[in-house]
Amino acid sequence: MVTIPYPNILLDALEIGVMIVDENFDVRYWNQWLEINTTIAASDIIGKNLRSFYPQIDYHVFARKIRTTLRLNSPTFYDASLQNRFIEIPRTKITTSLLRNMQLQVTISPYVPEESLVMVSIYDISDLHELKLTQQSQMHKIAELNAELHRDKMIIDANLLIAKIDTECRILEVTRAFVEFFGYPEADVVGHRLGFVFGEEELDFDPVHIREAIKRRQRWSGEVKAILSGGERVWFDAVVTPLSEEGECPGYTVIFHDISDKKRIELLSITDPLTKLFNRHKFNEVFEKMILRRHWDNARTFGLIIADIDHFKRVNDTYGHQSGDRVLMSVAQTISETIRTGDVLARWGGEEFVCLLPDVDLAKTQYVAEKIRKAVEELHPEEVGSVTASFGVSVYVPGDTQESLVSRADSALYRAKTNGRNRVESHQP
Amino acid sequence: MEQREFSEDHLDILRELMNIAMGNATASIADLLQAFGKMHIPKILISDMEGLHEYIRSAIPDNQRHYVTKQLFGGFFSGEFLFVISEESALNLGHHLYDVTQPSDGDILDAVVELTNILSATIISRLTEELNTKVQFFVPSTDLIAGNDLISPEDLLNYHSIIIINTRMEFQNHNINGQIFILTKDEMIDSLKALIDRKLEELYA
Repeated sequence: MVTIPYPNILLDALEIGVMIVDENFDVRYWNQWLEINTTIAASDIIGKNLRSFYPQIDYHVFARKIRTTLRLNSPTFYDASLQNRFIEIPRTKITTSLLRNMQLQVTISPYVPEESLVMVSIYDISDLHELKLTQQSQMHKIAELNAELHRDKMIIDANLLIAKIDTECRILEVTRAFVEFFGYPEADVVGHRLGFVFGEEELDFDPVHIREAIKRRQRWSGEVKAILSGGERVWFDAVVTPLSEEGECPGYTVIFHDISDKKRIELLSITDPLTKLFNRHKFNEVFEKMILRRHWDNARTFGLIIADIDHFKRVNDTYGHQSGDRVLMSVAQTISETIRTGDVLARWGGEEFVCLLPDVDLAKTQYVAEKIRKAVEELHPEEVGSVTASFGVSVYVPGDTQESLVSRADSALYRAKTNGRNRVESHQP
Repeated sequence: MEQREFSEDHLDILRELMNIAMGNATASIADLLQAFGKMHIPKILISDMEGLHEYIRSAIPDNQRHYVTKQLFGGFFSGEFLFVISEESALNLGHHLYDVTQPSDGDILDAVVELTNILSATIISRLTEELNTKVQFFVPSTDLIAGNDLISPEDLLNYHSIIIINTRMEFQNHNINGQIFILTKDEMIDSLKALIDRKLEELYA
C-alpha cells in the first residue's frame, strides 16, 4: 500500500469543503476550501469543538449520522433539500442569483473508524440546485401548456369533424365528433377509404379533387356530399391540408363543416316549392351558361321543349286548386322520369314546363317530346281522370340567343295548341 | 412476468442472500435507530418497465402521498435503491428520530434519508459483500409523491429489463411501514448472474 506523504495538500486542493471530526465533534482537520468560504482559519478551529463555531447544528442528528457511518462503515448523507440541515456558508461567487447561502450536499464518510473519526465532505450544489429549480419551473410551464393543449384537443375532438387520411385517401384517425356525427363505430371508419364512408358508390361524391390535391400535395377546399349511417344525406364544406408542408408528407387532415342548412336554403332559392323542379330563375341561369358554351354548331346542338298542360284552368275551376296542384306534381314527376339524367327540367310558370336537352338534334328532341306527351296522356290522375299537354320544340342554331330559341319553341307550342292540343310541334328557322 | 434468463438456482441464491441482507438491515436499524421491527421475505421478479409499473401499482396504494427516496449505487453490480414510505409513516419516523411532537418537513426528510441510508448500506453492502464485489453509493434524493406513480417518464426510458426485489418493512411499535425496491437494468442482470455463478461455484467447490 502506498502512503501519501502530504494528505493535507490533497485535501486543500479539493474544490469541496472537507473537515475531519470525531464523535465528540472535535475538529481534526479543516481544509482550505472551508477556510476561504467560512472565513474560519484552520489554525483557529482545529483542536476545538465544532459546537463553539456552529451552535445551530442539530448535534443529536449529527451524532447519530456519525455513529451510523462508523457502525456501517459506509457513507451517510444529509438531505440536500432547500432547508439547510448542516452549516450555513454564504455564497462568495459573483452571480445574478438570489441565493445568498450555498445549497450544500453533505456526506459523512468513515475516516479512521477505530479512532471514531469521520470525514465530512461539503459540496456546493447551488448551481445545480438553481438549474433544478429552473427546470422544475419550466416543467411546470410545460405541464400547464400541455394541459391547455389537451383541453384544446378535447374541444376539437368533441366539436370538429376531422379525419386524418393517408395518400391513398384511407382514414387513419378521426375525431369523436366525426364518429358521432356519421354514426359509424370508429372501427368501421378507420382503415377504410374516405369515399367508402361517404357512400361514394351511391352518391355523386367525387373524391377526385381530393385525390388530385393529394397527388399535388396541395391544399384543397370544396363541397362534398355524404350519407350518414342513418341514411340522411348531408353536405359538407371540406378542407384538405397536407400534414407537413415541407419534405415528407405522411398524410392529410380533412376538416368537414356541415353546410346542409346552407344547402337547403340555397336549394329553396332555385327550386319551385310545389314540383321541386328548378324554378325559372335557375333555369335561365343554366340556359344562359349552355348558350355561352362555345362548342355548339350546326352539327352539334341542343334542344328546348316547352310543355303546357291542356285546359289546366278548367281542371282548377272544376276540381279545385288542390287537385290542380296534384296534377302539376304528377306531370312534373312524369317528365322528370322520362328525360335523361343530364337534361335540365324546370317549371317555367303556371302550368308550363321547360326542358333543355344537351347534345341532341331536332329529331331526337321531337322524339323525347313525343315520349313525354304519351307518358302524360297515360297518367290518368285520380280525381281529374285524364290530362294531356301540348309541346313546342326547337333546337339551337348558331347565332341563337335565349330569347330567339324560346320564341321559336313558344310559337311551335302555340301551333300545337291551335292544331288541337295534345301534340308536339316544332319550329326551326 | 417471466423470470427471464435467471435459473431457479440463481433465484434461490439471490433470495437467500437477500434474506441475510434483510436480517442485517433489521439488526442495524434496531441498533442505530432504536426501532425494532421485521422485514418480510423479499419477492424477486424480473420484469420489463410495464411490468414494474403494474407491480408498483399493485404494491403501493394510490390514495395517499408517499416519500420516495431514490439512491443510485454503482460498480460491477449497479442499480437504484428505492425506498417508499407513506406520509403518515414518515411523520412517525420523524417523530421517533427527532423526539419532537411536530417534526418539521426538513426533520421528516432527513429521517427518511437516514433510514434509507441504513437500509441501502446494509442491504446492498451485505448483498455485494456476499457476492465479493464492491459498490459506491450516490447521494439519495427524496420526493413527496401523490399516488403511486413513482417512476418518472424519463426513468421509464432508462430501464428495459429490471430485477425487482421488493420487501415490506414493519416497525409496529412506531407504526412505520415501508417498501423497498431494488431496480437494476439490462446488462446488470448479466453481472448479477455472473456474480451468483461465482458464488455457486464457491459453495459447491
